[in-house]
Amino acid sequence: MPRLIIDNQKIEVPEGTKVIDAAEQLGIMIPRFCYHSALGAVGACRLCAVKFLEGPVQGIEMSCMTDARDDMVVSTDDPEARAFRRFIIECLMMNHPHDCPVCDEGGHCLLQDETVSGGHDIRRYKGKKRTFRDQYIGPFVQHEMNRCIHCYLCVRFYQEFTGYRDLAAYQIGYRVYYGRFEPGQLESPFSGNLIDICPTGVFTDKPARYRGRRWNMERSPSVCIHCSLGCNTVANARYREMLRQEARLSESVNGHFICDRGRFGFGYANLPDRPRRAEIGKNEASWTEAVRALANRLTISDGASEMKKTAVLGSARSSLETQAALAILAGSAGWPMPAYFADPHQSSVCRTVVRRLDEGLAVSMKEIERADWILAVGADPINEAPMLALAMRQAVRNGGKAGVIDPRPVFLPFDFTHLPIPREQMEFCLNHLIHSGIARQEADDAGEAVAGFYAQLPEEAEFEEAVREGISTLAEGLKQSEHPVLICGTDIVPLSTPDLAADHAHLLNRIKNTCGLFYILPGADAFGAAMLEASAESAFEDLLKAIEDGEITALMVVENDLIGAYPNRKRLETALDRLELLIVLDYLSTPTVDRADFFLPTTTVFETGSCFINQEGRLQYAEQVHAVGAPIRQLRGRSHPPREHRDEVPGGDPRPAWRAVADLVRALDLDEIRLYTSGPESWLTGSKGPFRFFQEKIYPPREGRILPAESEVAPFKSSIKKEAKKPEAGTLDILFVDRTFGAEALSALSEPIRRAEPAAAAFIHPKDASELGLSDGDSAILRFEEGDLEIPVALNNDMARGLLVIPRKPDLEWQTAGARFPRIARNRIAGVRKETE
Amino acid sequence: MTRNKPNIWKYSLSAVKGIYDAYAVSMINFLRKPVTEEYPEYKRPLPERSRGRIILTRDPDGDERCVACYLCSAVCPTSCISMESAEREEDGRRFAIWFRINFARCIYCGQCEEACPTLAIQLTPDYEFCQYEVLDFVYEKEDLLVDHGGRHPDYNFYRHAGVTEKGDKGAHPDEEEPVNLKSNMP
Amino acid sequence: MWFLGFVILLIKLAAVLGALVLLAVYLVWIERRLLAKFETRLGPNRAGWHGALQPFADGVKILLKEDLIPEGADRFIFMMAPAVVATSALLLFVVVPFGEGFTLWGRRVPMLFTDLNVGLLYVVAISTVAVYGVVLAGWSSNSLYSLLGGIRGAAQMISYELSLGLSLAPVVMMAGSFSLVDIVDAQAAYPFILVQPVGFLIFLVSTMAEAHRLPFDIPEAENELMGGYHTEYSGMRFGLFFVGEYVNMLVLGSLAAVFFLGGWRGPLLPGVVWFVLKVLIVPFLLIWSRAALPRPRYDQLMAFGWKCLIPVALVNIIATGGLMLLFG
Ligand code: SF4
Ligand code: SF4
Ligand code: SF4
Ligand code: SF4
Ligand code: FES
Repeated sequence: MPRLIIDNQKIEVPEGTKVIDAAEQLGIMIPRFCYHSALGAVGACRLCAVKFLEGPVQGIEMSCMTDARDDMVVSTDDPEARAFRRFIIECLMMNHPHDCPVCDEGGHCLLQDETVSGGHDIRRYKGKKRTFRDQYIGPFVQHEMNRCIHCYLCVRFYQEFTGYRDLAAYQIGYRVYYGRFEPGQLESPFSGNLIDICPTGVFTDKPARYRGRRWNMERSPSVCIHCSLGCNTVANARYREMLRQEARLSESVNGHFICDRGRFGFGYANLPDRPRRAEIGKNEASWTEAVRALANRLTISDGASEMKKTAVLGSARSSLETQAALAILAGSAGWPMPAYFADPHQSSVCRTVVRRLDEGLAVSMKEIERADWILAVGADPINEAPMLALAMRQAVRNGGKAGVIDPRPVFLPFDFTHLPIPREQMEFCLNHLIHSGIARQEADDAGEAVAGFYAQLPEEAEFEEAVREGISTLAEGLKQSEHPVLICGTDIVPLSTPDLAADHAHLLNRIKNTCGLFYILPGADAFGAAMLEASAESAFEDLLKAIEDGEITALMVVENDLIGAYPNRKRLETALDRLELLIVLDYLSTPTVDRADFFLPTTTVFETGSCFINQEGRLQYAEQVHAVGAPIRQLRGRSHPPREHRDEVPGGDPRPAWRAVADLVRALDLDEIRLYTSGPESWLTGSKGPFRFFQEKIYPPREGRILPAESEVAPFKSSIKKEAKKPEAGTLDILFVDRTFGAEALSALSEPIRRAEPAAAAFIHPKDASELGLSDGDSAILRFEEGDLEIPVALNNDMARGLLVIPRKPDLEWQTAGARFPRIARNRIAGVRKETE
Repeated sequence: MTRNKPNIWKYSLSAVKGIYDAYAVSMINFLRKPVTEEYPEYKRPLPERSRGRIILTRDPDGDERCVACYLCSAVCPTSCISMESAEREEDGRRFAIWFRINFARCIYCGQCEEACPTLAIQLTPDYEFCQYEVLDFVYEKEDLLVDHGGRHPDYNFYRHAGVTEKGDKGAHPDEEEPVNLKSNMP
Repeated sequence: MWFLGFVILLIKLAAVLGALVLLAVYLVWIERRLLAKFETRLGPNRAGWHGALQPFADGVKILLKEDLIPEGADRFIFMMAPAVVATSALLLFVVVPFGEGFTLWGRRVPMLFTDLNVGLLYVVAISTVAVYGVVLAGWSSNSLYSLLGGIRGAAQMISYELSLGLSLAPVVMMAGSFSLVDIVDAQAAYPFILVQPVGFLIFLVSTMAEAHRLPFDIPEAENELMGGYHTEYSGMRFGLFFVGEYVNMLVLGSLAAVFFLGGWRGPLLPGVVWFVLKVLIVPFLLIWSRAALPRPRYDQLMAFGWKCLIPVALVNIIATGGLMLLFG
């Protein structure tokens, strides 16, 4: 542990710490451009120069390139060092275009700060300035190369950290250019981080271009709700309009970065057609009117305390507050307990997940970065939880091995082994792989339970050559591994896979002493939803059954697009037709909202402080960013705001969904008065609230995992099949899947995401395609019983046979298929040739 | 610390003198002619740089100078300037889609003019614009924009800053040709 | 006959009250103009001839203002306090002789309401009542500023009451009577100011403190107490305080005239005219002081009253007595 002196202060730091970090620990911020704690040092900018007075190094040196060593005496404000840094700044500013007034970085620009604090205020260089042409690099990032100071952060982030190649440094000397070879959209779904990481205004936020300076923004720490990881963000709003999101450092979740879906997906909150008025039938009403009328409809006859039995469907994208409030409403009104997943598949896998995950197994993304062997089963990280792919990449960069068992064409920005196994055989493949990676002796040493489980695993498997090779590479890796992690998806896996994955994690845990288990869930608060469903034993299937049988005639849907999410359109339509009363609460305009008899507008996560539990059981709080109300821009278009005094905010009717529930409880005169007499702290932490599962009952919560120390479910109970299930000949499996851009319900509504999303296409193996007479770009017409689905096909070698992979885009009528995992006979697929000029 | 005991007589004498002086000075002023200039009968000619009603000026090409950089609104001690910037559809120029000064709040300190990098916002010597309605003090961009360059008729921000609004990069007098990233010629 | 006397009394009352209030109201305007002159400004000169209608403009404005009573105030006392201040100032005038007197319908009409033989004591007694107005206003407003103002007012008025009384003792000694008429008569030869300059000075300073005029406006101290005891008052109730203050100035002026300047006596001009002229001297001095002097600190004010004015007044009494023994 080296001890050194920086600016007359003694400090002891771990071996290998850079002087720049040691100083930071003392609260001394040495100026820097090119050093970033996630990317390391390259010494490109020379701004971090300090003077080493005594010790092993002497004179002016770069503090980011020098390891702290014993007996060093460092001065950061030595006149010589100051002069050096000032000179560096002057050189960096030589070609600067002096366009800060029209630059969006201005106000939070590191170059501005360092120039001013470095004392460079008068330009001495009278020569001509070098210039660059800018490029179109997609809908997310704006490029303005003249402002560059050549710190290389962008390229280091883009190429080394995220593993994409299309943004690079070109040319030499002072002509070095950072961009693409040809203009075009950046390929990386993490490109938005260039905005945060570039210390100058070269890369700026394109959707928020010219919309306001940092100091104009209302900024609050928020949490991304576009997938289950719950990355930490800083949300920026101005004039009641969400304008920009930045990554917020979270050591255990997302690190320094977020993905583009999270960064640019907030557009749904600003949509001009967002419903902002309550509706009775199709007539607008005030909030109080609507709640009172609704309460009247729900009471069977005037004055009677008996209430119409109502089914309640919450949502995995709602906050925990809303989910809990619904449970309390249903409980006190004597209704069946609410369900939260419209999709029965999601409902049961998520419940398995919350039952199986415990502190012994759960890992954060930070721990994934440190893993040396990662196996993902039924998961497509880039598309289902983009930041997970980045965490896995860091593990691989550190020497780890990664593999994915998944029938889909999985792309990841690093070297990994893909085993494109059909959906039904994934479990078999997993069992076989683990069996090959663990020696019988190891299993026997780990105790009876483990040995018994191990003994059931299939030793032999018939796979194609390529798959067999992949399995043996991964098995080899597992043998060497000390920190393995299993990742289990939930979107396409068979119902039993989450259980099986947990058992394997236990197995590896017993043998290696450590093994992480990481699930991917469908929705920002899917964990909370599953927890509440599991504790109440409720499911939407049961409710739907009761509606079909006529036992229940009213349905309340909260922040859930039931029509878009339920996999069987026909069955749902029939059930909805039997309803007497459909109540919908939402902040989006969806087909479900259009059908509602009663509608109450709710607020987005940016307009209410709310809790979310991510897929590893981490409870996080997103603070309110801005007040409820229509964005000022939408009031008078591109003109000045209205010149009038008003009592209420235009478009200010929406309330948090839990408050709507509370108002309803009050109007119905139910005895749960704490719902409307006090804030969420009282009923979240109460005896029926979800916080009853947690040790620490404070609200708003501190960040932390809320898992039990040990799951109640005993491991190794999965049933294991010795034989791989054979796919049916003559049919194709269809998988409806998530995509990075365009399939997640909220972000798909965001303008920049819509521009970035690729056209909808069904992936198919070339051999299947040729059997069907299809070639790349042709359209396939799938003739289901309920109707046709037409979609262009894209050929992909890297996927299982007998499979069509179709993105679950909101505008694609995938529910006509009638099932979550439909199977279609080959003769029901017709091809339409691509039109060629 | 030892404190000198004041000499009571000296002290009293100086007190009396102080009081006497005060009375004398005020009486001398009493007998002088008042210096008040009576407005509105007499309007004092104001120097060019005196600070009154604010205008938004135009550059020599007749285009709006303001680039909606928010510096004036940031520096304004009374926060009376608000605006929203946007990209002009024709040429991508940054401009203010609306720009509002609440003169009921402005204290005519001139900080905004000081901060403006494009010399767009300027204070004029006009101060006679009282209103009965407070809302009439809220000036929109239409009310602020004039058709001249004010005190600095010649300056044009876009001739100095290296951003292009029309035309190619490197077209300004103090700039080199843009780097061709696909050529190895120096 | 008693009936005629009653009518005359009523007429006198109305005339004096009217003149007094009118004069007080005009004194506001005069003060503002004079103050402006002291500061080489013009002062209010727009309403009417040289701004002569300014008091009426002010009056209309103040009458149209909303009459606010703060929450938590003791409403009755809050409403009564301004009246106490104004009335006590007016009551003082009862014993002041403001002219020689004349004969009407065969009746001698004295130019005063009543000649009390303890007139001077009455003056001192009644002027003390004004302090109730200040204290009650300060207490009933339910505001810290007001309360502080009220307390300061009480302390200040009680302290300076002493020196006021003491400064008048030599006058009584020389006139040999408490009756104000007798005191005026005693000055037939020369006004007492010639023999009692110190007494006059003490009287003047105490007067300023009594009327809490600058530099002794500690109870109001606008820039520290925001108006002190009348912070919470608005509209005509505030106006009453104002009128009271200016009536007070006039009354103190007339007392100075009576005690030191020879009352209504003077050559050539009629007595009433002399009286009015003399009465105006004190307000002028007060205004001049306001223009010239800054406000002392509260403790300095108390120290000055107790450690300087009272001893000097006592010495003055002893000296007067000694001299009277020697020469009288
Ligand atoms: S573009 Fe930005 S991050 Fe990249 S080298 Fe230039 S200044 Fe650094
Ligand atoms: S990985 Fe998921 S949670 Fe993180 S930013 Fe992207 S969409 Fe949001
Ligand atoms: S003059 Fe001062 S107060 Fe007025 S707008 Fe400019 S900065 Fe603001
Ligand atoms: S400082 Fe100048 S250019 Fe910037 S917004 Fe204000 S007026 Fe416009
Ligand atoms: S930060 Fe050390 S050289 Fe750039």
